[in-house]
Amino acid sequence: MLKESVINELQRIVGKENVLTTPEALKAYSYDGTTSWIHEPDVVVFPTSTQQISDIMKLANKEKIPVTPRGGGTNVSGGSVPWFGGIVLCTTKMNKILKIDKENLTATVEPGVVLQDLTLRLAKDGLFFPPDPQSFLGATIGGIIAENAGGPACVKYGVTKQYILGIEAVLPTGEIVNLGGRTLKNVVGYDLLHIFISSEGTLGVITRAELKLNPIPPAKKTTMVVYADVAKAGEGVFRVLENGVIPDKIELLDNWVINRIEEMMPMGLPKDADAVLLFECDGIPEAVEKETEKIVDIVKKYGAVDVRIAKDMDEANKYWLARRAGFAAVFGKAKTVFAEDVTVPRGKIPDLINKCKELAKKYNVEIVVLGHAGDGNLHPAILTDITNEEHYGRAVKAMDEIIEEAVNLGGVLSGEHGIGLEKQKFLKRQLDPVVIDMMKKIKALFDPNNIMNPGKIWE
Amino acid sequence: MEDLKELKKVEQFADQCMKCGFCSFFCPVYQEERVETSVARGKNYLAKLAIKGEQKFTDELGEIIGKCLLCKRCVVNCPAKTQIDRVVVAARAQMVKNKGLGFIKNFAFRKVMANRKAFGNYVKLAKAFQWLLPKTEGKIRHLPDFLKALGQGRNIPEIAKTFLRDIVKPVYKPQDGKAPKMRVGFFMGCATDFVYPELGLKFIDFMTKRGIEVVVPQEQSCCGAAIYFSGDFETGRMLAEKNIEAFKDVDIIVTACATCSSTLKDYQKYLPDNPDQEKRYKEFEKKIKDSMEFIIDVMKVNPEELKLKKEFEGKTATWHDPCHLVRYQNIQAQPRAILKGLKGLKYAEMPNADLCCGMGGSFSVYHYDLTRKIAAKKMDGIKATGADIVVTACPGCMINLIDNVYQNKMPQKVYHILELVE
Repeated sequence: MLKESVINELQRIVGKENVLTTPEALKAYSYDGTTSWIHEPDVVVFPTSTQQISDIMKLANKEKIPVTPRGGGTNVSGGSVPWFGGIVLCTTKMNKILKIDKENLTATVEPGVVLQDLTLRLAKDGLFFPPDPQSFLGATIGGIIAENAGGPACVKYGVTKQYILGIEAVLPTGEIVNLGGRTLKNVVGYDLLHIFISSEGTLGVITRAELKLNPIPPAKKTTMVVYADVAKAGEGVFRVLENGVIPDKIELLDNWVINRIEEMMPMGLPKDADAVLLFECDGIPEAVEKETEKIVDIVKKYGAVDVRIAKDMDEANKYWLARRAGFAAVFGKAKTVFAEDVTVPRGKIPDLINKCKELAKKYNVEIVVLGHAGDGNLHPAILTDITNEEHYGRAVKAMDEIIEEAVNLGGVLSGEHGIGLEKQKFLKRQLDPVVIDMMKKIKALFDPNNIMNPGKIWE
Repeated sequence: MEDLKELKKVEQFADQCMKCGFCSFFCPVYQEERVETSVARGKNYLAKLAIKGEQKFTDELGEIIGKCLLCKRCVVNCPAKTQIDRVVVAARAQMVKNKGLGFIKNFAFRKVMANRKAFGNYVKLAKAFQWLLPKTEGKIRHLPDFLKALGQGRNIPEIAKTFLRDIVKPVYKPQDGKAPKMRVGFFMGCATDFVYPELGLKFIDFMTKRGIEVVVPQEQSCCGAAIYFSGDFETGRMLAEKNIEAFKDVDIIVTACATCSSTLKDYQKYLPDNPDQEKRYKEFEKKIKDSMEFIIDVMKVNPEELKLKKEFEGKTATWHDPCHLVRYQNIQAQPRAILKGLKGLKYAEMPNADLCCGMGGSFSVYHYDLTRKIAAKKMDGIKATGADIVVTACPGCMINLIDNVYQNKMPQKVYHILELVE
């Protein structure tokens, strides 16, 4: 419980209408996109300016109240769950696109801008912001930067950190800082901008961002490739890339997912296939045609049993709709789902897939595979039920081994979701104690009173 | 332990939500307020807690579940196919059951009585409503929401001098004097009855001109939208029984009101309390046809053979999709086929044609400021088309569109699609 004087002060800073304290509102800010991490804040505040955020942080720092920054709450790591209560600082009312600079291909935005709103606005000027976390309908730019989010288009375009030129942020002590800048090149001093990116809201609150944009490619083409063996599909990914084609997306759906999607929305996916890969090429029309031809040649050479080139946008959209439905298909079929986002070097995808199959047998659990195969970021999902202790126990063991294997294969335990609460028990498997210690020291430098999103990343 | 019967019925739907939050992008209320309790995910979460006994039926919960347009944009866009409308309606019903009808705020007495003219209309309406509703206290509370909206500074159509129910005949034979090709029952609906009686006569004329016999049972009642969507299932079920009984002699029931057609079809979805009710509501659903699907799919009218009224020649029309047509009934192609087929009329599709107009029944009564903000987006779409007329097929939407076109000083006129044809 916070002191009444603190609530009064928060109301003075942001206005009464921007402070929520009813039990119902606090419950509605106790969760994010994960299933099992729930904790209520003591108050939710909606600042509308950088200065207000600075004032909130000064107050919180003085009173030593935990502050958890939150945007759309679509994250899947527990990162925006206020684990120690205190203040949820919600940026959804700071959602203005301040400037679109066509000359420099940049945009200046507030942290609460929803990615899809940005995408629609930029499209009017023929531009786009390439990072494409699949939560784009609700995810806000502040959260996207804090989590260094990525998505399917990362194969060709990379992840968020490659598209942030600079930010304005409020430190836990209330100072307002500008990190990075507005230029593509910038080597002035330590690159503190990139310490902030992917800090999961533990170092401060991002209040403004300078984004790097690309022109929208004039053509796109989607190809669906069918495999009789999911591991062969995994191989198809790196064969295409090593033979000189970089599609903007390569996504994988396994047999289980294909069949669930066909149950939900019949669209003629190959139900017998062990897996399919979806390729999308983008660029100028001639290049897209040539690259698609090349993909067809390569995948046929390396074990594809069928290839379907989408004849028009409708067919292409249908395949991508199927991909997007993938997670719903998985979540709809089990009470509890472990949605992993381990990432391995691309050449190791077949090994990881084979390991998943082996573990599914060993522990007698359903493990389905879908994800951004193009960047090695698979999402093996384990279907279980938290109320069934015995089954859940087996699922936990299987997940443990998947993570172990990913790290052994030279990969990482999280490619895009972040550590948050969900993966902190695995952190030590990936990082040396000295590295974790350095991180803690950096955190202490930014946040001497440990009030900024405490309880996240490390145990 | 509180009663949880209505909520338990929808537990399976509430459990579908995987908390992805994508609904926020589609929710007209969230888009204005940007607060988690406005959006489906937040409402669903609180409903789930209520089912588990971890959330009491507080006034605040009532506010939160009341603040939903039931436009179903979240439902049709939900990756997990969560039927949040069922959860919201059941939560309202549970609220009414556990906290009494006081949950439906007695708006009429609080706000409308201050306005003498509106109150005069009210008395007239209340009188007309006497026999529509079962003999319970507080009838005025159950006036359809668009009528409650009177007296809020809205520019809405006058209440008709003569109600349709007072002039309509029980049977209309085909105009050519031949044996009828088909016999249908006509469901008036309150807006048509009290505000647009000429629309009802127009539709009857449209059908009898084309060899259809139309019967208009006098025992028919209000469809119940305003009542059961507010959570008063008890009265909702009584109305369902009245309507089922009134139309027992016909196989097809038509209406020119999108809300009525969807509400009558959906008794089976929201209201059943036992298998017998469910069975009868389901049978009733099969009889219901909205005017748009009836004209195109059943009568098989060729839109190009329809004659445009002279006053609309050379005009450009745009179509507004009522929530109760486009999402509740998946009816969107039929009206467009009519508008595009009408010779002499130009058609311009508006951006976001399927965006809710912001009316949302009781929503607009309690949250008129939000209604105005949501409608402003609709108005932007209308402006972008440069259309002369806005056409729709729901008298509820018409009332809100007329209000907002007027308040924004826009030149467009609003019509029901049936008003365009000879």
